[in-house]
Amino acid sequence: MRRFVTALIATAALTSLGMPASAADGVKIGVAAPLTGALAKMGADIRNGADLAVQEINARGGIKGQKVSLIIGDDKGDPREGITVANKLVQTGVLGVVGHLNSGISIPASKEVYSPAKVTMITPASTNPELTERGLKNVFRTIGRDDQQGKDAADYALKAGYKIAVVLHNKNAYGQGLADVFKKNYENGGGKVLMFDGIQTGDKDFTPVLTRVKAQKPDLVFFGGEYQDGGLLVAQARKIGLKAPLMGGDGLFDSLFIKLAGKKAAEGSIVTFPPFDKAGAFAKTYKGKYGAEPGAYSGYSYDAAKVLLDAIAKAPKADRVSVMAQVGKTRSFKGVTGTITFNGKGDQPGFKFGVWRVQGGDFQLVTK
Amino acid sequence: MDLDLGILGQQILNGLTIGSMYALIALGYTMVYGILQLINFAHGEVFMIGSFLGLGTLLGLEALHISLPIPLALLVAFVVAMAGAALLGMGIERIAYRPLRSSPRLALLITALGLSIVLQNAVMLLVGTEDRTYPEAFTEALIDGFDLGPIHISYQQLFTLGLALVLMVGLTVLVQRTRLGKAMRATAQDPVTAGLMGIESNRVIAYTFAIGSALAAAGGILFGLTYSINFFIGYQAGLKAFIAAVLGGIGNIPGAMLGGLLLGVVEALGAGYVSGTWKDVIAFGILVLVLIFRPSGLLGERVAEKV
Repeated sequence: MRRFVTALIATAALTSLGMPASAADGVKIGVAAPLTGALAKMGADIRNGADLAVQEINARGGIKGQKVSLIIGDDKGDPREGITVANKLVQTGVLGVVGHLNSGISIPASKEVYSPAKVTMITPASTNPELTERGLKNVFRTIGRDDQQGKDAADYALKAGYKIAVVLHNKNAYGQGLADVFKKNYENGGGKVLMFDGIQTGDKDFTPVLTRVKAQKPDLVFFGGEYQDGGLLVAQARKIGLKAPLMGGDGLFDSLFIKLAGKKAAEGSIVTFPPFDKAGAFAKTYKGKYGAEPGAYSGYSYDAAKVLLDAIAKAPKADRVSVMAQVGKTRSFKGVTGTITFNGKGDQPGFKFGVWRVQGGDFQLVTK
Repeated sequence: MDLDLGILGQQILNGLTIGSMYALIALGYTMVYGILQLINFAHGEVFMIGSFLGLGTLLGLEALHISLPIPLALLVAFVVAMAGAALLGMGIERIAYRPLRSSPRLALLITALGLSIVLQNAVMLLVGTEDRTYPEAFTEALIDGFDLGPIHISYQQLFTLGLALVLMVGLTVLVQRTRLGKAMRATAQDPVTAGLMGIESNRVIAYTFAIGSALAAAGGILFGLTYSINFFIGYQAGLKAFIAAVLGGIGNIPGAMLGGLLLGVVEALGAGYVSGTWKDVIAFGILVLVLIFRPSGLLGERVAEKV
């Protein structure tokens, strides 16, 4: 009996490790994002971006005559689910993964799952600095970092004359991280932070915290977090007569933020996000395929997939280690979001965030 | 710490607003418990479905190009959602609880939990997982407000509190002054004897479910007009309302109202004066304290020993 079990385990191990994934069934890459849950909209944006890149390469005959297939994973915006999905993707034999959205998922998944399996992870959306500060060779991002974003936000706020701020965050790696950076830079620049507090993401009633904020009479309320909470925050702020504008990071950059808040309440909100051309060729192709405007991270996800596919095509061997090394060599890659060059950490030096304001019910670029 | 009375008043108002929604849901828990000694865990989902029915009605009116004045459209939404939820509540009772009425209490409790999961997932498959808001025409009509001294009252808060009050008074009148109310009280006291006196207990129980569910649906629309909704809101709101019912003394109708309002105020003061992150810890801590000193809740009666 024991021998039989051993044999069984050995066979299973052989089938999962021994077979080069690309030999029989083409090239596989993964995309992992929250496809259900409160952030499902941004998750779908990321999936579509990667899907578009894969469709385009297959239309041109794939990579070295092999078709590329995209394995889709739903991390539900939950770190535990994220680890499970990452493991599943690794087991299906992907060479690399585009994802995840949340820094709180990208950070553990890259270290605990992708790194031991030598799987390249390129995130289009996770901005927490820690992600690329751990010496992991398999981690890259096509988006910028929050130490940059938080500084740009603080600089703009001070320049625009907001001298007194209240800082709120959603207690997760992304939100609190961004709020910390903003606070540090804002105070260094001479701004005053009167209150720094967390909210429970998923809660619906924020009026008690906002009433406390209102009593401080701030010029500005900075929120580190995502649109589903940010939209409610700004809507409820208006209801209790708190007039200071809400400012936030890339997690708020979605039309759903304006929809959840209501156009009237969202007006004047300030969001940092890289500048991009809303009416470019990519936006047209994307809209033709998916029937919706590209979301915040669609372009970054498309570029992440393109960088990954390009590296797979150029790598001397189509295995995980060669692909990882090849992605690390990405220099001046022309993407739809800009020219991508990875440094030794997997970041893009010189990545720029812009400042957008909600005007007339839509995001308008204020400064580049 | 210097205490600003204006802010204190504002926080109490904030608490009463969400608290009145808790209270509307808590009434359904407490009424069903009063009659069947059953904790109807599917009740939170009835609240959630009521909220979606209201949203669906408003969107349906919009899609059919029926443009009613805002108050009239809201009235239609309340009627449709409350009637729909009442039918749903009666259906739940008929299909899931009545066949098990003579089974051990645990079987009913498990059925209730299972039903809650079924309803939640059904709605998830039907409408998806994203947050939705009520149409802007309605939420923005209520966004402004007026100042009463140092307190800013939004029309939305006024509407929520006013409607909740009307519904609670209506329920009290129904229970205390009508034949149906008398039958409900009699059945709660002793179903067998009530039956012998000619009260059709099945019908009374069905009406109890219908009334509780309609109140939850009204709470659901008020919730939707104020916040955003998704398939999962029934879980948290249901849990809070259940706590409110226990706090006030489960089975006791004024207790559920008091418990809901009190829980809302305690939460608001916790989030307003301590920290948004400690809100739930404070609310649950107070619940534990109350139950240590008054195990049957604030207004709950001590059950007399049967001789």
